Amino acid sequence: MSLSRKRSIIVRRLLQAIPVIVLSTFIVFGLLKLVPGDVAVTLAGDNASDARIAEIQHIYGLDRPFLVQYGSWLWKAVHGDLSSSLVSSESVLSSIERCLPHTMLIVVLAMLLALVIGIPLGIAAASKPGSWTDGFVMTVASLGVAIPNFWLGMLMVAFFSLDLNWLPATGATPISEDFWDAIRHAILPACALASGGIAEVARQLRSSLVEILSSQQVRTLHAKGLPPSSILWRHGLKNVSVNLLTVISLLFNRMLAATVVVEAVFAIPGMGNLIVNGAIHRDFPVVQGVVFAMVLIVVTLNLLTDVLYSILDPRIS
Amino acid sequence: MTNPNRMVGMLSRREILALAGSAALASMTGLPAFAQEAAKKGGILKVAAPANPSSLDPATGGAGSDHSILWTMYDTLVEWDYTTLKPKPGLAKWSYPDPKTMVLDITKGIKFHDGTDLDAEAVKFNLERNRQDPRSNVKADLTSVASVEVTGPLQVTLKLKNPDTALPAILSDRAGMMVSPTNIKALGNDTNRKPVGAGPWKFVSWADNASIVVTRNETYWRPGRPYLDGIEFSIIPELATALRSVIAGENEMAFSLPARLKPVIDRAKNLQVITAPTLYCIQLYFNYARAPLNNVKVRQAINFALDRQAFVKATMSGLGEPATMTLPSSHWAYDKSVSTLYPHDPAKAKKLLAEAGFKDGIELTIGSYNDQDSVRRSEVLQAQLGAAGIRLKFTRGTIAEISAQFFATEKKFDVLLSAWTGRPDPSMTYALGFDKGAYYNAGREADPELVKLIQQSRESEDLAERAKVFAKIQRFIMENGLSAPIAFQYELDALSKKAQGYKPNLLGKPKFENMHLG
Repeated sequence: MSLSRKRSIIVRRLLQAIPVIVLSTFIVFGLLKLVPGDVAVTLAGDNASDARIAEIQHIYGLDRPFLVQYGSWLWKAVHGDLSSSLVSSESVLSSIERCLPHTMLIVVLAMLLALVIGIPLGIAAASKPGSWTDGFVMTVASLGVAIPNFWLGMLMVAFFSLDLNWLPATGATPISEDFWDAIRHAILPACALASGGIAEVARQLRSSLVEILSSQQVRTLHAKGLPPSSILWRHGLKNVSVNLLTVISLLFNRMLAATVVVEAVFAIPGMGNLIVNGAIHRDFPVVQGVVFAMVLIVVTLNLLTDVLYSILDPRIS
Repeated sequence: MTNPNRMVGMLSRREILALAGSAALASMTGLPAFAQEAAKKGGILKVAAPANPSSLDPATGGAGSDHSILWTMYDTLVEWDYTTLKPKPGLAKWSYPDPKTMVLDITKGIKFHDGTDLDAEAVKFNLERNRQDPRSNVKADLTSVASVEVTGPLQVTLKLKNPDTALPAILSDRAGMMVSPTNIKALGNDTNRKPVGAGPWKFVSWADNASIVVTRNETYWRPGRPYLDGIEFSIIPELATALRSVIAGENEMAFSLPARLKPVIDRAKNLQVITAPTLYCIQLYFNYARAPLNNVKVRQAINFALDRQAFVKATMSGLGEPATMTLPSSHWAYDKSVSTLYPHDPAKAKKLLAEAGFKDGIELTIGSYNDQDSVRRSEVLQAQLGAAGIRLKFTRGTIAEISAQFFATEKKFDVLLSAWTGRPDPSMTYALGFDKGAYYNAGREADPELVKLIQQSRESEDLAERAKVFAKIQRFIMENGLSAPIAFQYELDALSKKAQGYKPNLLGKPKFENMHLG
């Protein structure tokens, strides 16, 4: 594929992202307005009265028509202003700037763990299907998928933090402030988050690798006299790389979502924390801002995946 | 319970374990150990706070959980006694030369953190802002004030539209927190993110949902105070996590913990556990403006069907007090005679239902929240009322969702299982919950007699006199079954051994002014 063609594909995909962002923020906005509960009640506080709530709705423009409210949010967002929290009046952009690094750190760390542990496990299982190793790896993988990550997180805190005192039980340090302390805080949440990922990478890798290794092409390679290790590493893994990439990108998106729970268990002031708090108070600028950022991340990631597909497998364009 | 206000105090783990759930708790007098040891100065206290403040501007904020953080930065005109909530002088002393005039005499020489004098002009500025600024959430607290006049360099006189002796207590709450006028003039409502008060600590930083840091006010007006160099709040809404942070030594204190975490605190080594009564009342709100709860007999039946003692045991591990009215037994306006109106009596409940025309029992819709503790409460409630033929049909959801459906315009559900967090003055509780048109009175209707009594409760300055009026209000509310109080939740806090001097208060919102690090 020519470079210019590739570039035009990327541009097209980026343009496709725009309706996705508009639509997803619109749906979230609609949901926040549809479910009962009103940020004006939070704002009116303990001494709320009907009149006071109406007054607040007017002050904050919450009494305007639905589309006008969404439109004014979108107009500002297009101009780079994600508004401020209606409750605490912190600018949403600075909230995201502060929270996103915490979330990304544990997600990236969890992803690394999933790959570093999951890939060797998958290979070990696939290289001798039906063997004792295979059975063991698949059992562990099933457990990994089945165990809820928040529960695993609590167990790990009880053991590694409270009993052994090796790692901090809660909180997070900005990575820009103290790199090693940030990593120390991120290890347990990343492990909790990675458990399902390790299992999934191992299982997916095993099944696609088993399929490839039993294909006619591999039989030919065997007949040609290639050593099994060379078949596995050079031909087998290269062929499953596209599958693996799909798993990774799906997993990354899922991990982003799972941080909502893991962050609560470990008291990490990340994006999950931000959106939960925003949603509880119907603080829609905050919720919208987080959704906006998340959609942007996911869209970019999918785009990156597509580009990598075409590099790994030239047949995909 | 002859000495009801003596439940406050630090009990050792073993003592509290032995006493948990038993009425003998009341006889354990507060061990005033903290009062005797000399407080050391210095050190930073790390605290796990359960909620992000709604605002750090007392006038515009709204959440009851804000106070513990606000009090670190803002002093109030009036303060209260920790155990009874009787008002006492704070930044100012008050007096009523006549029922419609209140005079505030401000203590000399107090300055805000930015150097602005806390004088009569500053107090007037604050009170005018609190009662007139469109964004002020405390306007309703100050409706009785007709005008605020400066009558001396350190004296402010409030002219009142009608006698209002709830004002001292009101001025111990948000309305009495003094904010630097210089700061407001410079920042307007952005003072929310850069607050300047006259409290024992100065604001340093606030990151939403993450942390709040305050540091010592070197020129604080109370000599020798505060003990702590600063406080660092980590905001951890997941309370089990907050407790783990204390067990792991990352924080020195976690407060407002649910009773279900008590065994976890007990198992942990090196923790102090503190329990104390609060005004936090778990109760059933009724929409009595429409059928079937417009029938007083049905409301009374619910009150008879409740086994409050069992409720406390089952849902609070005994860390609570059965509620027979909206005030706990240690409160200055508690009336013992009201407390015996509703013994647990399912047979009586059935009889009342039959008289009301529901021979085969009755089905009521009820809203409740979906957190772990609320679900447990709703299950116990369902069993208790079920035994008297009252079948509850629950709808569960988030607090914002369900409470809005019940209190705001939608008027869903006959009953709401929720809580009342309490107010410094009982008249605020009654005005907000039972007055005509009040938001927390779902039906918005009120008996003229009750409306008159609520007004009357603010007329006398004498607490004994006021207590008599509150007794009448309380009797009226309970006899008519306008709500069904169930239990007062005890405050439960976990502190490291290092954190010393903490005294719980009846409001259940921690103040850190007496704390120091051992």
